[in-house]
Amino acid sequence: MTIRFKLFTGIIILISIFAIDFFVNQRLSKEVVKNTSYLNNSETIIRNSNIISKLMIDMQSGLRGYLLTDQQDFLITYYEGLKSIPPLLREQHNLVNSSRQRERLDSINLLHTEWIDYSNSLITTKKDTLPEASARYKELFEKKVKARFGKRLNDAIRDLFQDFDGYEYRRRQERRVILQKSIDDTRQISLILTFCSIMMALVSGLYIIRLITSRIAKMVDLAEEISKGNFKSINDTQQDELRRLSESLNTMSAILEKNFKELQKKNKELDEFAYVVSHDLKAPLRGIDNITTWLEEDHGKELTPDVKKSIDLIKGRTKRLENMINGLLDYARIGKVKRGFEKVAVGEMINELVELLVPPNFTVNILNKMPVLTTDKLHIEQVFANLISNAVKYNNKVVGRIDISASDWGDFYEFIVQDDGIGIQSEYHEKIFTIFQTLQERDAFESTGVGLAIVKKILEDHKATIKVESKLGKGTAFIFTWPKYPVTE
Amino acid sequence: MNHKTILLVEDDYLDVTSVKRSLSKLTIDYELHIAHNGVDALALLNGNSPDGTKIKPDIIILDLNMPKMNGIEFLGIIKNYYSLKNIKVFVMTTSSEDYDRVTAENLGITGYILKPLDFEKSKDFPNSSTYQLMSELLN
Repeated sequence: MTIRFKLFTGIIILISIFAIDFFVNQRLSKEVVKNTSYLNNSETIIRNSNIISKLMIDMQSGLRGYLLTDQQDFLITYYEGLKSIPPLLREQHNLVNSSRQRERLDSINLLHTEWIDYSNSLITTKKDTLPEASARYKELFEKKVKARFGKRLNDAIRDLFQDFDGYEYRRRQERRVILQKSIDDTRQISLILTFCSIMMALVSGLYIIRLITSRIAKMVDLAEEISKGNFKSINDTQQDELRRLSESLNTMSAILEKNFKELQKKNKELDEFAYVVSHDLKAPLRGIDNITTWLEEDHGKELTPDVKKSIDLIKGRTKRLENMINGLLDYARIGKVKRGFEKVAVGEMINELVELLVPPNFTVNILNKMPVLTTDKLHIEQVFANLISNAVKYNNKVVGRIDISASDWGDFYEFIVQDDGIGIQSEYHEKIFTIFQTLQERDAFESTGVGLAIVKKILEDHKATIKVESKLGKGTAFIFTWPKYPVTE
Repeated sequence: MNHKTILLVEDDYLDVTSVKRSLSKLTIDYELHIAHNGVDALALLNGNSPDGTKIKPDIIILDLNMPKMNGIEFLGIIKNYYSLKNIKVFVMTTSSEDYDRVTAENLGITGYILKPLDFEKSKDFPNSSTYQLMSELLN
């Protein structure tokens, strides 16, 4: 499975969870809204019911007061009720959706209408001043009021209201419970869903991070190892884009290792070749030298000045070739001789070299404290010896000066050998490190152009570097590093 | 001054001449025999040479790189002969770093001389094999 696919799947799953979350929440809140409206409905019904029953009781009290005192103002509440109750009953009728409750409402309405008929007849007959009316009132009073006709009606209405309200109270309680439950459910389900989506996001995020970062870290490590010359490989079993990358890295590492080993082998062969060749070149050269010497010894007196001059030229060139061969041998020997490590006090070593190599018309200043380190003494000595003798050789001042300093860079030291000699033009700064490259005329100087090549090769063997800072006529500074600890191949 | 018999085993004409010239500068009474390889040298020591010469040298000066039988093989053989193993052998070669040097020294040579043979120069180095060879010849 590719990482692209995994990422895509993860995102799709997350989006789906959030969509489900949203949908469920929507549904649940609709339920809550519905239940809230049910509850509100119940409350309105109960409120209406209370108002109606209060209005009815007020009517009854008004009627009773009027009948007892004959004062008209008692009837205000009666007329009020007469006007307000029918619309309220109609509203109530609409609000109620249980048939039982509707029946109760109808019964209340019916009984109330009956009571109103009864009351109206009482009121109209009582209001009327005609004698028949008065008689009629009396008759009604005797037959109905005393017979508690109105009271019976009112009792029946009260009973009905009690039943109606009781039912509605229960209904309201039930709806309250349902509403609370739907609110609780909504809360719980959204909590669970939110938790799930967070966990999912976390898990998939961590998975992707683990999948990618640890492997990228491995590859970075590998690349660093390769840059240090350790050609390792990594084992990646996943089937995705990173696997391809790690495989490419492994291939690169393997190819580099192969080429590097090949190069090392070739270098070694070259060193051996140079050694053998230069070794064998010396024998005939010595022969030439011998013969010219014998010529001079045996026939010195017979030779003309021209011939003598030619013999001198042969000897000069022979000497020069011998120097070059010796230089080549030295150069080839660097890679050939086994290295031994010992404690080297660089300061003391430089003093010994100065005594050996530097003529009295030079001042040598060691500018700061030189380190003591365990290293390949022969090599570091050769580097200093070559640089110091170059500083002496390429100086045309009456009194020359050489400054040597060291600085600590953690894993390595940096040494500077600075002279006030003839200097080197910048276009030759690279060239001087090539073997047999000398900036002097062939015969003018005892220079084979091997010294700096040897220095460079030694430093490369120790994974160290050298650079030159110089201007013509302004002296030269060779700046090179040297590892603090022995470098293993 | 004692009479010295010297056997030079060397294939290179120039080196032979060089040794001859060096010896001629020493005021000694000597007799020089020359073999161009190990086989010829053994023949001289055993009396199997074409002209039947048989020599008993005091000193052998031996080159290592030779055709037919090289110096090391020659050394290995004579050091096994009771009559020959006490002859002083000086190995003469081009480089002080020859890998054969250790082998030669293990076979019991007297000295190891770097070409060219120069007695004049060796006077400055009393510990050198060349000086030792000169002393042997002079006493």
